[in-house]
Amino acid sequence: MSATSMLLAGLAASVATPFLAARFKRFGGALCVAVAAAMFAFFLSQVGAVAVAPVVDTVSWVPALGVDLTIRLDGFSLLFALLISGIGTLVTLYAAGYMDEKPDFTRSLFLLYILLFMMAMLATVTADNLIAMFVFWEMTSLLSFLLVGFDSKKAEAREAALQSLVVTVGGGLALLAGIILIGVGAGTFSIGALLADSSALVASPYFGPAIVLVMIGCFTKSAQVPFHFWLPNAMAAPTPASAYLHSATMVKLGVFLLAKLSPIFVQAEWFGPTLVIFGCATMVVAAVQALRSTAFKAVLAFSTVASLGTITMLIGLDGELAAVSVVGFITAHALYKAALFFCAGVVIHGTGQPELDRLGGLGAKMPVTRVAIILAALSAAGLPPFVGFIAKEYLFEGQLVSSFAIATVTVAVLVNAVMVAIAAIVVLRPFFGKAPADLHVHHGESPGMYIGPLVLGVAGLVFGLAPWLIAGSLLQPAASAINSAPMSVSFSLWHGFTPMLALSALVVALGALVTLKWNAIHAVLKPSAALERLLGDGGYQAMMRGLDAGSAWATPRFQNGDPRFYGAVTASAVTLLIFYGLLSGDGPLVPTPPDEPFRLYVVAAVVMIVVGCLAAVLAQSVVSAIIATGVAGYGLALIFLFNGGPDLALTQFSVETLFVVIVTAVILRLPLVLGVTRKRRERVYDVGLSLAFAFAVFICVLWIAAAPFNAALPEYFATVSYTEAFGRNVVNVILVDFRSLDTFGEIAVVALAAIAAWALLRATGEKPKPSGKGAPKAAPKAAPKAAPKAASKGAKEPAAPTQEA
Amino acid sequence: MNSVILSATARIFFTAMLLVSIWILFRGHNEPGGGFVGGLMGAAAFSILAFASGVPTARRALILHPIVLAGVGLALAALSGLPGLFYNDSYLLHHWGYVPLGFTEIKVGTTMIFDLGVYFVVVGGILSFIFRLYEEQPV
Repeated sequence: MSATSMLLAGLAASVATPFLAARFKRFGGALCVAVAAAMFAFFLSQVGAVAVAPVVDTVSWVPALGVDLTIRLDGFSLLFALLISGIGTLVTLYAAGYMDEKPDFTRSLFLLYILLFMMAMLATVTADNLIAMFVFWEMTSLLSFLLVGFDSKKAEAREAALQSLVVTVGGGLALLAGIILIGVGAGTFSIGALLADSSALVASPYFGPAIVLVMIGCFTKSAQVPFHFWLPNAMAAPTPASAYLHSATMVKLGVFLLAKLSPIFVQAEWFGPTLVIFGCATMVVAAVQALRSTAFKAVLAFSTVASLGTITMLIGLDGELAAVSVVGFITAHALYKAALFFCAGVVIHGTGQPELDRLGGLGAKMPVTRVAIILAALSAAGLPPFVGFIAKEYLFEGQLVSSFAIATVTVAVLVNAVMVAIAAIVVLRPFFGKAPADLHVHHGESPGMYIGPLVLGVAGLVFGLAPWLIAGSLLQPAASAINSAPMSVSFSLWHGFTPMLALSALVVALGALVTLKWNAIHAVLKPSAALERLLGDGGYQAMMRGLDAGSAWATPRFQNGDPRFYGAVTASAVTLLIFYGLLSGDGPLVPTPPDEPFRLYVVAAVVMIVVGCLAAVLAQSVVSAIIATGVAGYGLALIFLFNGGPDLALTQFSVETLFVVIVTAVILRLPLVLGVTRKRRERVYDVGLSLAFAFAVFICVLWIAAAPFNAALPEYFATVSYTEAFGRNVVNVILVDFRSLDTFGEIAVVALAAIAAWALLRATGEKPKPSGKGAPKAAPKAAPKAAPKAASKGAKEPAAPTQEA
Repeated sequence: MNSVILSATARIFFTAMLLVSIWILFRGHNEPGGGFVGGLMGAAAFSILAFASGVPTARRALILHPIVLAGVGLALAALSGLPGLFYNDSYLLHHWGYVPLGFTEIKVGTTMIFDLGVYFVVVGGILSFIFRLYEEQPV
């Protein structure tokens, strides 16, 4: 089975199974897990092939735009695909338990989002075409939005969802721009082709801007400084989603793309240092914020941000070893952080208490969870013999051999000490010690919810003890893919007595110290307003407030509800543009019109139009004005008819007729007295504007008449109309056959407009009518302000304005 | 609109205009006309009925809800493009065939379905405005 068909089958199953889960709880839930497990099994079966060479599978998608659906599984993509589908399997299992008490619909909806997210993620990491990848990338943002705001009745969840969407999709726009620049510069959107030969891109002037834009997109997605604030807020999501999206997978997309493109981007010498700077800044900010947090999930979220900063920094490092440490760290982190979140979910689910310092003594009630979290935390703290230890050894080694040794090692030691403390705190606080008096444990653990963390915790231990299980088959191809050159990876537990071992020991010692002093440090850092301003989401809030204020300023000015104002603005702009176009061109302003035979009947029609227009302007009553406009329209239709456009004329006649009918109906519902909304000065301007506009259009028409007529198209259609489309009416044949897709689009617009009108006009059943006093004098502007109550009363009275007509 | 003359002649006008609109619709492929113009004229026919005898009468005459009618039209237009796909051509590439009627045969094509769809959408679209605007009107 090819990768593409597997992904499509997975997508279909992801949509179908949650519906079954809504109907049959156990059976359907098991099916959802099976979907994820099948994806995992599929990618596992690809390990052997990918270790030899990337697996490529192409399906044409939008050939006209050069967008195809190519699945390209290299080592790095496969590593991500395995993490996504593997953890996805555990998350669906866990979510079924987590949502057990929720209504069937809610539970199934959640499973649907999770499975769809998994498929979107899998597509993102395996897509070869950057545009296709971007589409899937944005799908993950949208699903993240839905999951963060899943508890949509909570205001903070909605706000966090909006924030995550604004930040990640905003960054997505930058990413799209960057991708387009890459495509323009390199002439291809294929990652595979780019990795094979990037010389065109590197030589093009778009190379630098493209890197910056891609970086912005990746930084927003992976919550790097200065966009780090959205991830902790996104903890409003249900815990299974936090574990899956906001720690193990989605937030790693940014670093995934940076790593994937790094073999190309490193050819700009500032790429690496920039990543190192932002990565280190993110690590420090996240470590400080973690120390300031009290909520279980917030602490974990900040440690995730710090880990993402670490990965960003590692990508920026030079040297072959950095690639190994990137893949090692990503693997280790995904395993232990998802497990920690799972355990946090078990605790919060069982107690309803999200604050770390109000928890305690849960070990007896949740023994398996305690084992799982201890395993995960030991890996997170980087203690042997866990995989986290190996990852940390490689982290230090990668830093030491790079050209940024001193600075990065210092940051890494300090931040990792905080990580050790976090690992200790999240185990010690909830599961040991004495339970606080107000802690109420609703229920203990259930197998569905502890299998996930236990599996991940044990995996961290097994891969630590037997790193050869993943080193050659998985990590080596992955590291080679982002190093752009094959390399041999020795991912082993024991390196001997090295500087890295000493650094690890130092980290653990410092971490123990921070753990002991956790409360004291917290008490110092927490109340600091300066830190909050500096590190919180103040900038985002200020931006949103500014946006609101700007809209509040602009809306009444540009959308004041007076169509005359809109008309004046539009006509002014069009007139100016036409005159600009006319005056900026070469040649005379007014062309010499071509010779036309004098035709009395055309003149008669023109007179009819002019009379209609004058009557419309001078009419006192709206009804007369409408009819006068209709007369002008009929005159125009006559001109069409005289000039050989019977179809156009026929349509124009019908349109004019219906125009009068519809507008008459509209004014029956409005006060008949013409309200004057324009001041005297403005009306003088309006007259001038009308004349200028008419003059501009007049000159344009002269130019159109003067331009030589290209008869190629009419002749073509006249020839092929009957031979190819079996119709003699060229206009109709074009509409229904040659350009039928356009027509289809147009009638779709008509149908949608009809639906909208049907819905909107419903409200006019309670038409707002100025209440009794001074109704005839009231300007139309005042009408919408009338209270709806007065309107319903008014409906019983005879409508005064209509009778006056 | 309580005009006796209008009420009396509305039925005749309605029938005549509707027939003309259908005639215009089907002659469209070779002579001036087609779905758009026909639809406009059909909508005008129903408008006269709504104007003279009230919206409920016009809605009964239309049988389908105007929005439903527009939807049916859109569906017809969308479906008319499918044969193109089955013949391994592009979507909306129209096909023609001859239907024998014994003594003669008439030419039919999927464009007719497409044009009928346009007709329905236009009639439904315009009438959804007009019915709404004339409904609940103080008479």
